[in-house]
Amino acid sequence: MSEAGEAAVGLARSRRSVRQSAGVVLLLAALLVVPRFANNYYLEVLSEAWLYVLLCLGLNIVVGFAGLLDLGYAAFFAVGAYTAGIVTIRLGQSFWLSLPIAVVAATLAGVIIGGPTLRLRSDYLAIVTLGFGEMVRITVRNLSITGGASGLVGIERPDLFGYSLNSIAAFYYVFLLLAGLAVIASYRLERSRIGRAWKYVRSDEDAARAMGINHAAVKLAAYVLGAIFAAIGGCFYAAKMTAISPETFTFNQSLLILLGVVLGGRGKIPGVILGALVIVIFPELFRDIGSMRMLVFAVSLLLIMLFRPAGIWPERWR
Amino acid sequence: MKKQAILVLAGVFAWALCGTAPASAADIRIGAQVPTSGPEAPYGIDMLNAIRMAAGQINAKGGVLGDKISVLPGDSACDPQAAVNAASKLVSENITGVVGGYCSGATLPTLKVYGDAHVPFVITASNSTELIGANPGNAFMINSTGFDQVKTAVALFKAKGIKTLAIINEGDAYSANLAQLTRTAWEKMGNKVVDYEVVSKGQQDFSPVVTRIRERHPDAVFWTAYYADGALLIKQLRQGGFSGMIALGDGNNSPKLFELAGAAANGVYCFSNPTANFLPAAKTFIADYEKQFHQPPGPYSALSYDGMMLMAHAIKVAGSTDTTKIVAALKATDGFPGVAGPVSFTKENTLARSNFVVLLGKGGQWTLYTGPGAPAAP
Amino acid sequence: MAFYEVLLQQLANGLILGSFYALVALGYSMVYGVIKLLNFAHGDLYMVGAFAGFGTLSLLSGWLGGGWGGIVPSILFSMVAVGVLGVIIDRVAYRPLREAPKLSVLITALAVSMLLENTALAFTGGQYTAFSTALGFAGINLGMVHVTYTQMVLVGTSVVLMVVLELFVSRTMYGKAMRAIAIDQDACRLMGIDVDRTIALTFLIGSALAAAAGVLAGVYYGSINFFMGFLIGLKAFTAAVIGGIGSIPGAMLGGILLGLLEAFGTQIPAVGSEWKNVFVFAFLILFLVFRPTGLLGRPEVERM
Repeated sequence: MSEAGEAAVGLARSRRSVRQSAGVVLLLAALLVVPRFANNYYLEVLSEAWLYVLLCLGLNIVVGFAGLLDLGYAAFFAVGAYTAGIVTIRLGQSFWLSLPIAVVAATLAGVIIGGPTLRLRSDYLAIVTLGFGEMVRITVRNLSITGGASGLVGIERPDLFGYSLNSIAAFYYVFLLLAGLAVIASYRLERSRIGRAWKYVRSDEDAARAMGINHAAVKLAAYVLGAIFAAIGGCFYAAKMTAISPETFTFNQSLLILLGVVLGGRGKIPGVILGALVIVIFPELFRDIGSMRMLVFAVSLLLIMLFRPAGIWPERWR
Repeated sequence: MKKQAILVLAGVFAWALCGTAPASAADIRIGAQVPTSGPEAPYGIDMLNAIRMAAGQINAKGGVLGDKISVLPGDSACDPQAAVNAASKLVSENITGVVGGYCSGATLPTLKVYGDAHVPFVITASNSTELIGANPGNAFMINSTGFDQVKTAVALFKAKGIKTLAIINEGDAYSANLAQLTRTAWEKMGNKVVDYEVVSKGQQDFSPVVTRIRERHPDAVFWTAYYADGALLIKQLRQGGFSGMIALGDGNNSPKLFELAGAAANGVYCFSNPTANFLPAAKTFIADYEKQFHQPPGPYSALSYDGMMLMAHAIKVAGSTDTTKIVAALKATDGFPGVAGPVSFTKENTLARSNFVVLLGKGGQWTLYTGPGAPAAP
Repeated sequence: MAFYEVLLQQLANGLILGSFYALVALGYSMVYGVIKLLNFAHGDLYMVGAFAGFGTLSLLSGWLGGGWGGIVPSILFSMVAVGVLGVIIDRVAYRPLREAPKLSVLITALAVSMLLENTALAFTGGQYTAFSTALGFAGINLGMVHVTYTQMVLVGTSVVLMVVLELFVSRTMYGKAMRAIAIDQDACRLMGIDVDRTIALTFLIGSALAAAAGVLAGVYYGSINFFMGFLIGLKAFTAAVIGGIGSIPGAMLGGILLGLLEAFGTQIPAVGSEWKNVFVFAFLILFLVFRPTGLLGRPEVERM
């Protein structure tokens, strides 16, 4: 290409990227301003949407980046939520203490759950992770330290520099922030060395091993990082709801999060964000239909998968 | 790529802005928070039907304060987050009150939503004791809590000479709560709980549990969960050769139990609010329900009907749709004649007097049990 | 009851429960074996089968009575109807996605499952439906251990169906085609095997088996509901994996083993029904750690 040509392309690219950045900034500003206008219902749903963005991005690390079919992701979500509950109610400590403890617990959980799956083929892996998910749910249902079937009630909402996080608008911002951090973290991870290692292990495990990648460590890292995302989401979820119970951490929850990851386009970060938004907002849009709600959702889902099997997010916009 | 992103997120933003448009309506809107999707749907739909039937009857007589009642359903799906979304949506649609509440775990976080909006909430099914402490003052529970039911149950067992008990629950907040309360009360009396089992909702095969019970041979088995799975359990217990007493919690007082359990349900005891047998109004209620919906009412239909009637009554007493006045009117309720019994509240907004009676299955339907151990008539 | 009687009874319980799991696991395993799909909708076909059987029996019981005379035709009709439904589902939802990423097909299966469940929910209003038959509880007694004739028929039917299936797969051309497709679909096409037809047949048979299990469950337990497919689907999946997914004798073995684990797990003092599922899953996971391909699974070479 001639020099002038190159310069022209470069100029066009930088103009486009300036437009893109301007777009992103405007968008962020708009999102930050929403609580001034929207009523509590919309804030409630959007907070839930940002939470699921966080969760879906976390699962995306396991399923999308590392290619591990995890059907029990809700277990990590539960670890975070119950850590917050136990730390604030049973131990009477400040909510903020539950965050580092939840990260440690999530790391442990990631290793324990990931460990047995290292030698397994993808579908056996699915049943093992599913099994762990159920085991965690039944355990928190049975033990009294986790409140049994009724769960934990009365989780305190935290104070942040004297400002009490006690309104839905406050949690909207919290979850928006968490989602934003998750997006940044996901991009960083994708482009990092471990992100590349995941890509190789995902496409061809034997070749990756031949290249000297320690596949066990790489896979465990995926589980652990995914677990940490979910656990942090779980802590703040517990604070927002002030009460948690085993019903939230079922196999259906794991499936829902998986749905968000695949719907938007597994592995592609913007797609996953879109998927998360869809799984939260779609059922709410259809609320007025009443008991046909889930039926319509199922049909829509089927149609989407038939017409866009690679996910809603178009393939060429990488 | 960013173009797509901007479009999508702009769409979300626009949708969020929709929430700023003011609602306008001339009628009185009452929310109905029940699960209408998921595995609890049958119970929720029964409750919604009853609430709608009550509203229809009120409207036929001219409505309340000259305005018609319109019922807005809010699907809780028995999930805390979905319930909170439903509650938020109802509040944003300017409801004057809300009736319903089935899964205690889903109802609990909605208390705050309604409390912050000062919307009166008549809870017609959820009765976990956790709700009492979390009540911001605007919620009223018209289903007797577990404490009352345990008293009734234990009294019956004692009168029948039961010494050893087996308790089976389904691992959900309500039945587990009732089971634990029963166990505590039973053991405090110096008796033994020889078997404590937890089964899964929707489980069809109880044979391993039945075998355990046959092995331990308790004098009585107490099932604290709901009629649909309870029916199968009763059948399998009798088929398996268990001949001791079987007692059921109030989630089983539906006539449908007999359809599903057949002859096995005869001779079975059930603790319940007095729907079928007490007030003449109850018989009319059942007939009306069956006529309109072509199936018998569910365990919480009568209470949900009462909840709507009570709400309408409170609005009338308050003389306006000012929610503070309605809450005050509810608090002052004294002996409101519900289908399921008279309603008055304690200062904790729970039912002042236990309505519980003991039902006995006879000839394919529930009859009122008045023998030894039955609670005194209110 | 003497202790050995308890154990015998739990053994009987486990075998009966296991027969149901095995029948449903067979369909799972077959479909997976051929097209590597975890068909989430399979459990719901069991549910649809139960309703189809119920509907048929209600129609027929006027002429044929409510005993086995009416039940057997109901089972056959249900098997055919649901078999066809399975083929339709494959044609509409799965075939277009043959080349798509595996995860997408999984989600499609999930959507089909939701569709079936919610349709049944709409039709039944969520109510449980009583499945009444004229079968009694007569049976044989070994001391305190009671086994009814119905139970024996159930287990017997399951075994017969499974044996027939295994013979079919190992002896007939279709069976050979199924196994060939499992190894290399494209090579099969090149060899002139009608791949789509064979896959459709797989779905037909698998769905028919699930339907049979559904009707038998309705007959045996006496009650059916829109949600019954969900739990059994999960158990069947577990059973198929324990046995070695893709293997038919494996699915049978896995189902029986799962039933026995559940029955005996309930009996163990520290476990009981409260922790039974944890026990079963823990067993499964440990088992897979030592035998990653299940009981009878073949160690597969993953082709690129």
